[in-house]
Amino acid sequence: MVRAVAWRNVRLRYKSSMLGFVWTLLNPLLFLLIFLLIFSEAFPQVENYPVFALSGLILWSFFATSSAHVMGALVENAAVLRSLAVPPLVFPLAQVLAGLFNLGMSFVPFAFILHFFGRVPHGTDVLVIPIVLCFAVFIFGLSLALSALNVFFRDIGLLWNALLPAMFYLTPIAYPSDLVPERMRWVMEVNPLYQYIAAFREVLYHGRIPQMETWVILAGLACISAAFGGMVYRFFRPGFIANY
Amino acid sequence: MELGLPMIELHDVHVDYMVQRHGFSSIKSYLTSFGTKRLLERKRILHGVDLRIDSGECFGIVGRNGSGKSTLLRLLAGIVEPSKGVANIRGRVAPMLALGVGLEPELSGWENVRLCRLLMGHEHRDRDAIRRYVSTFSGLSDEDLAMQVKRYSTGMMARLGFAIATATDPEILLIDEVLAVGDVAFQQQCYRRIEALKAKGCTIVFVSHMLGEVQRICDRAACVEAGTIVKVGTTHEVGMYYHELLGIPT
Repeated sequence: MVRAVAWRNVRLRYKSSMLGFVWTLLNPLLFLLIFLLIFSEAFPQVENYPVFALSGLILWSFFATSSAHVMGALVENAAVLRSLAVPPLVFPLAQVLAGLFNLGMSFVPFAFILHFFGRVPHGTDVLVIPIVLCFAVFIFGLSLALSALNVFFRDIGLLWNALLPAMFYLTPIAYPSDLVPERMRWVMEVNPLYQYIAAFREVLYHGRIPQMETWVILAGLACISAAFGGMVYRFFRPGFIANY
Repeated sequence: MELGLPMIELHDVHVDYMVQRHGFSSIKSYLTSFGTKRLLERKRILHGVDLRIDSGECFGIVGRNGSGKSTLLRLLAGIVEPSKGVANIRGRVAPMLALGVGLEPELSGWENVRLCRLLMGHEHRDRDAIRRYVSTFSGLSDEDLAMQVKRYSTGMMARLGFAIATATDPEILLIDEVLAVGDVAFQQQCYRRIEALKAKGCTIVFVSHMLGEVQRICDRAACVEAGTIVKVGTTHEVGMYYHELLGIPT
């Protein structure tokens, strides 16, 4: 059932637009263009800035779109949830799977773009898969909590929209992390997004295998987020039916 | 299926909803109440409901708006669980609680058949038989079914919805006044299908405001008032009772 709903979400995202999936690439590519025009001169210490920026933007775009889609999943399917005995969890789960599928598809054009900027494919590149999977679990947990809250408070979406740009600039996506002053570095390190993006870059940009410690952090953050999302969801679940 | 087996048994069932009595719809309003008002409060929707419906029976439920009819139907459909008491529902349920539920406007008729049946929890088997049934029953052409559902008229949606729900002979069919939208020909067709399902031993629970409809297709009925069943009997008895309750001279 989850697979069928996920497939529906994928179809819906592409069906009504002629260029379909090109649109989902447009946002990260526009950002890349802006970064290239403005920042590539600003950070001379960053070697091959386009690859650096794009490796951060891919994950960020996955985070921003998936969290927004998962957050709306319960409320948008209220009519179905009120009239059919479908476990509500199906819809948030299907949104994350659709997001993952989307990301997988976008890797194809991104690989070409990275290649264009002089990046040589490497055997260790497959390590992005476990990183992305951990990140997907992390996003799912966090957004599941938001989707449950969204049933009761419809301004969660507005709040999230206000927070997203702040998180974008707080996370070293456009700028290298060593530019962050020493005394403020802890802010960056407690930011879970930084951990995922740093690991992703480790593989795609530096061509290195992340250390064991990194894997533990990535998996740990994913577990904490999933447990948190599950708890919030279970707490609010009895109130769903009367409040969709 | 053998007739006369208990398909639905409710013993002293209570259903509570967690409602927002203070109507918070935003975090802002919740936070500015400074914790003086609770977010969710328990509200009893159904209480002390006892009911038994047997296989092959067509059972009507009447009652005023807000009396708890829809919640009772949701309980039978497995959408809500009893807070107290026991609800035994035996058999494959086909819920028709709202018209065209689960139909995705952007997808075609055929894609919706597949999706909706999955959402209803029916496995996707006998594809060809289901396709044949859907196109025969709904009277929609292959062209219509290949078209996006958003271009359908209300009547077409009703046909498709009913066809999807009744495609593989359900054991329990729940209908919440969804037949009113179609034209007379469609209603006749639905009633014929209901009769046919009944003859096969399918249990039908039919909710309606309209007493005439209930009396026409049901054998027995119940009247729901203020969250509990106040009368069970033949459709005639329940009809008289309901009219008295509403203060309509019979």
